[in-house]
Amino acid sequence: MSAGAEGVEHGEKNYLNHETTIWSWLTTVDHKRIGLMYLFTITAFFIIGGLAALTMRLELARSGPDFMTPDQYNILFTLHGAIMIFLFIVPGIPATMGNFLLPLMIGAKDVAFPRLNLLSYYVYVVGAAMAVVALLNPIDTGWTFYAPYSTQTKSAVILMTGAAFVLGFSSILTGLNFVVTVHRLRCPGMHWDRLPVFVWALYATAVIQTLATPVVGITLLLLIMERWLGVGVFDPAMGGDPVLYEHFFWFYSHPVVYIMVLPAFGVVGEIIPVFSRKPLFGYKMVCYASLAIALVGFLVWAHHMLVAGISDPSAIYFSVITFGVAIPTAVKVFNWVSTMYKGSISFDTPMLYAMAFVFLFMIAGTTGIYLATLAVDVFYHDTYFVVAHFHYTIQGGAVIGLIAALHFWFPKMTGKMYNEAIAKVAFVLVFVGFNLTFLPQFVLGMQGMPRRYFDYLPEFEELHMISSFGAVINGFGYTFALVNLLGAWIFSRRKATENPYNSLSLEWQTQSPPIHENFRETPTVDDYPYAYGTPVEGGGH
Amino acid sequence: MTAAAETVPGEPPHAHHWSPVNAYHGAKLGMWLFLATELLLFGVLFTSFAIYRYTYLGEFHDASLKLDWKLGAINTAVLILSSFTAALAMDAAQRGNNKRVKNLLLFTVACGGIFLVVKYFEYSHKYEIGLFPGVECPVVEAGDAHHGDAHHGAGGHHQEYCWPKDTSALSAEQKEMLVSNKYKMYFGLYYCMTALHALHVIIGMGLLSWVCFLAARNRFSEQYYTPVELGALYWHLVDLIWIYLFPLLYLVD
Amino acid sequence: MFRYLPEQASKVAPSVDWLHNWITDLSVLFTVAICGAMLYFAFRYRRQDGVDHETPRIEGSNFLEVLWTVVPTLICIWVGYYGIVIYQDMREGEEQALVINAVGKQWIWEFQYENGKQTIGEFVVPVNRPVKVVLTATDVLHSFFVPAMRVKKDAVPGRYTSVVFTPVKTGEYHTFCTEYCGTSHSAMLAKLRVVSESEYERWVNDRSQDLAKLTMSPAKLGARLYEEKGCNACHNLSGTRLVGPSFLKLYQSETRKFADGSEITFGEEEETIEEYIRESILYPGKKVVEGYPNGLMPAYEGQLTDDEIKALIAFIKQQDGSAATEESEEDSGEDLQAKLAAMSPVERGQYHYQNKACIGCHSLDGSNLVGPTFKGLYGKSGELADGESYTADDEYLKNSIWDPNGQIVAGYQPNQMPQNYKDQLSEEDLESIIEYIKTLE
Repeated sequence: MSAGAEGVEHGEKNYLNHETTIWSWLTTVDHKRIGLMYLFTITAFFIIGGLAALTMRLELARSGPDFMTPDQYNILFTLHGAIMIFLFIVPGIPATMGNFLLPLMIGAKDVAFPRLNLLSYYVYVVGAAMAVVALLNPIDTGWTFYAPYSTQTKSAVILMTGAAFVLGFSSILTGLNFVVTVHRLRCPGMHWDRLPVFVWALYATAVIQTLATPVVGITLLLLIMERWLGVGVFDPAMGGDPVLYEHFFWFYSHPVVYIMVLPAFGVVGEIIPVFSRKPLFGYKMVCYASLAIALVGFLVWAHHMLVAGISDPSAIYFSVITFGVAIPTAVKVFNWVSTMYKGSISFDTPMLYAMAFVFLFMIAGTTGIYLATLAVDVFYHDTYFVVAHFHYTIQGGAVIGLIAALHFWFPKMTGKMYNEAIAKVAFVLVFVGFNLTFLPQFVLGMQGMPRRYFDYLPEFEELHMISSFGAVINGFGYTFALVNLLGAWIFSRRKATENPYNSLSLEWQTQSPPIHENFRETPTVDDYPYAYGTPVEGGGH
Repeated sequence: MTAAAETVPGEPPHAHHWSPVNAYHGAKLGMWLFLATELLLFGVLFTSFAIYRYTYLGEFHDASLKLDWKLGAINTAVLILSSFTAALAMDAAQRGNNKRVKNLLLFTVACGGIFLVVKYFEYSHKYEIGLFPGVECPVVEAGDAHHGDAHHGAGGHHQEYCWPKDTSALSAEQKEMLVSNKYKMYFGLYYCMTALHALHVIIGMGLLSWVCFLAARNRFSEQYYTPVELGALYWHLVDLIWIYLFPLLYLVD
Repeated sequence: MFRYLPEQASKVAPSVDWLHNWITDLSVLFTVAICGAMLYFAFRYRRQDGVDHETPRIEGSNFLEVLWTVVPTLICIWVGYYGIVIYQDMREGEEQALVINAVGKQWIWEFQYENGKQTIGEFVVPVNRPVKVVLTATDVLHSFFVPAMRVKKDAVPGRYTSVVFTPVKTGEYHTFCTEYCGTSHSAMLAKLRVVSESEYERWVNDRSQDLAKLTMSPAKLGARLYEEKGCNACHNLSGTRLVGPSFLKLYQSETRKFADGSEITFGEEEETIEEYIRESILYPGKKVVEGYPNGLMPAYEGQLTDDEIKALIAFIKQQDGSAATEESEEDSGEDLQAKLAAMSPVERGQYHYQNKACIGCHSLDGSNLVGPTFKGLYGKSGELADGESYTADDEYLKNSIWDPNGQIVAGYQPNQMPQNYKDQLSEEDLESIIEYIKTLE
């Protein structure tokens, strides 16, 4: 406790002020600074992608063309998808919060390969720049680049897929770095069964990043070759098969969903125990569940293609295995909720987001059951039901997880406290706006409204109108939340103590913000980080 | 044990934040992971090749006859030899013999060079006889040799590609085969796979040259030989992929 | 709870919905239970007055872990099992199904029946009979989705996929494209009409539309092609720009400025507007007018005959902004009624002969096509297919037009002639046609 008070003494050096030149930021190999640089970059893309989404929702508010052409709409949803997936949510939590927290949480001074880490950031920047040029060029294939549309359309497909390839490289380097970090750099006493669940989640994520990304990389290269040289692998006119592209694409792009959402699981697993003052219920199960999801996630890709013309036996196989993802996910949810039992629960903003996450993810998960069920998926495939489902997973899961993490670790990252009242107002707006946007889309899907439609039958208008209205509220919510955090960082005079939430995990045991080397002395650990509450009979873990 | 005290001047303070032994194991783990990603990278191409070879057995067989298996065999021998010398270099590094490391690696890099030269002759020969990736070709009218291909040219979007530049030396049957789509696909895949592999050879040569440079400055010892080991590992992978590519493209009947 | 699924118009729909509704109920149950528990804990164990109360260190429970692993697993197995069973039911009746070929193209659905009948944007199937729609695509991926039938499948270029369904209710249903396919993806709709078996037979054998095409004026044929070939998805007739330029006064405007900076004034240079339009239809990428994106329009090379292109050009030429010409082309409207009323019966008969598609099958020059020639028909006698004899008097002709299958002349096929002239022609119209036939000696 006392160390915290010392930590904020004037003149105390921390990672933010030990060097202040712009050059020192651009050439830093400090994982904390790299995490922050990622954070600002992806936030910028989140804003662009979000504005694209809002523009689409405004167009869709009413039936019939309002203020854009079908092509502009197609470009816009490609822009929204590609930016949100490749530039925002894939680097999302791992590259920002993961970079910042992973070494702190395991008591290391940095990640295993700090220079590789910086390289990975710049590779990301190069990829992002290529993507921006391509998207404005523009490109109209949707973020999935399905052949043969992508090999025929006259848009900047080569540049965009090239960008995705480069971004994938960045993702691989980050994943590789994290795996080695977790394996080799845990501080004394930090056994595998004492790792925070967020680290477990990052570890599982990193494995997926490393092993799935090369597949999409080479697939996109093949697509480029297809366009450029006419190799013919995906071109029916040459004897190739477009469905093969889908297989390769989803072999990565299904696991990528877990790259997005597993770290968010980890965040929730960190927040709930702290604000409940209870050990994380079933810690080991939660950790194993992360690994199980990562593993099973590799085996289910073709459930994105159940009506794409794959054979019945493979459709049945992929449907069955897909249920295999549901189980570990359900286990996690049960454990989070049980953690709150007999707790001492306080409702700070991170806890509110974590609870919202549980609710949103329940909807995301249960609607996933419809899509895994073969007969029902035939009806729901590529309808608004799917749109709503994956927005509940990705926005309700990964984005809410990221926002929760930002609020939770904000004091550690900046050394300041944010305005709790504004944060709660923002939370309400985000929560209400989000549900208002996407719950109607489930109903639209039930009524048979297909996705990626510029225009729709008049009977769908009412629900679209509600959805658009919700999107605006949602947008205000995120704006409030981000402005609140940014404002607090720049203007707030409320210094954060070392450990404002009395967490037991390592990152809170150093000053806020941490010093350049993270810890003055290499820490030693003798218990897992969830030993909250009074020991009771038979409560061993 | 404060971190600041460990910082070596001129090096970023975080670069030396772990013990040498740990760093060695970490670097090796990282390299193995990276090699795993490389295998997956090539895995997609192998899968595509396997699928289409199975589907278009005859065409792929005929097309593979256009490759010169002797040149392929020479390249295979060269790469295996270079892999062997890379392993020897690694052994020399563990004994701290920097000079031997340098010489062996120079030989390895030279082998890589020979491989590329042979590859260059193979490529240029194919270019001569017109077996190069799709360029629009005015000699053969688009769609001439498509029979019963209902989807060809639908919507007029498809660029028609053709391969033969000079078809005079070919028999009518060969001409027919040359413009067959599947035949083109075989060469499309051939170029993708071998070019990607050649790119890896070049990267490997760069990597080993750098290690060679370090060896010339006597940087390795019994305690420190990580770069040699990683470089050799990478080179083995390059070799290994070729050992799969060679029979698949040149020999399989 | 939450029952919003569309009408159950196929045999399999009720079982799909049954499973769907089970999943909904289970989902709601679990969501309410878990979130209810969470909210209850949050309220019951909330920190009061900002002071932590003592909490027990409960780290887990093996019993609970097993319980909440096994129970969801069992539920998933149950749901997954029925998902597979019902999925297989979706192929029921495939062997004896009526086969329709559907081709997805940017951005239309084209349907082909076994007897060669072709339709675009609409297909008709009989009720209570399994239907198998065999799908393919010519350009990019499309997906065939009929919500009311609960079927969906991608149409993949170079492959044949299919959906099978048995409609159980007559009516009209939406068909969507659900795989993104470019500019007008959201306009790639089709109408499914489920009708009674007899109506279906009549419809599928009614080839008058196809035959009528042969005898249409070029501009009229162009008007049909304009819709059938999907031109209308991107080019309207009202003068506003959609994806491509409107056809209104397109023919009449004399200059074009192209994206590459070049300009052309028709009449001054060698190229005529006809040549230019023809080229633009066949190879849209060759000359792109400034301000329009290249590559959006599919090339129609190989998809249109010369006559069809001429017809389209004639149609485009007709869009000169004089509304009067358009109306007179339409067979309805008060002007037309007045004109017909002013005609003599024979003239009116001739008009109907040309406009009700008689002309497609009955010649005036004595040659027998699908049906007998009208030349010298009146008063002719002969033998019917059933052995009876007939004389072509007023009564006989009248019956033959209203109920063609009632008396088939030996050597001719039943079901060739449309069965619905009774709806199309009034008594008076009928008489006028007979009057007209009388004049053809």
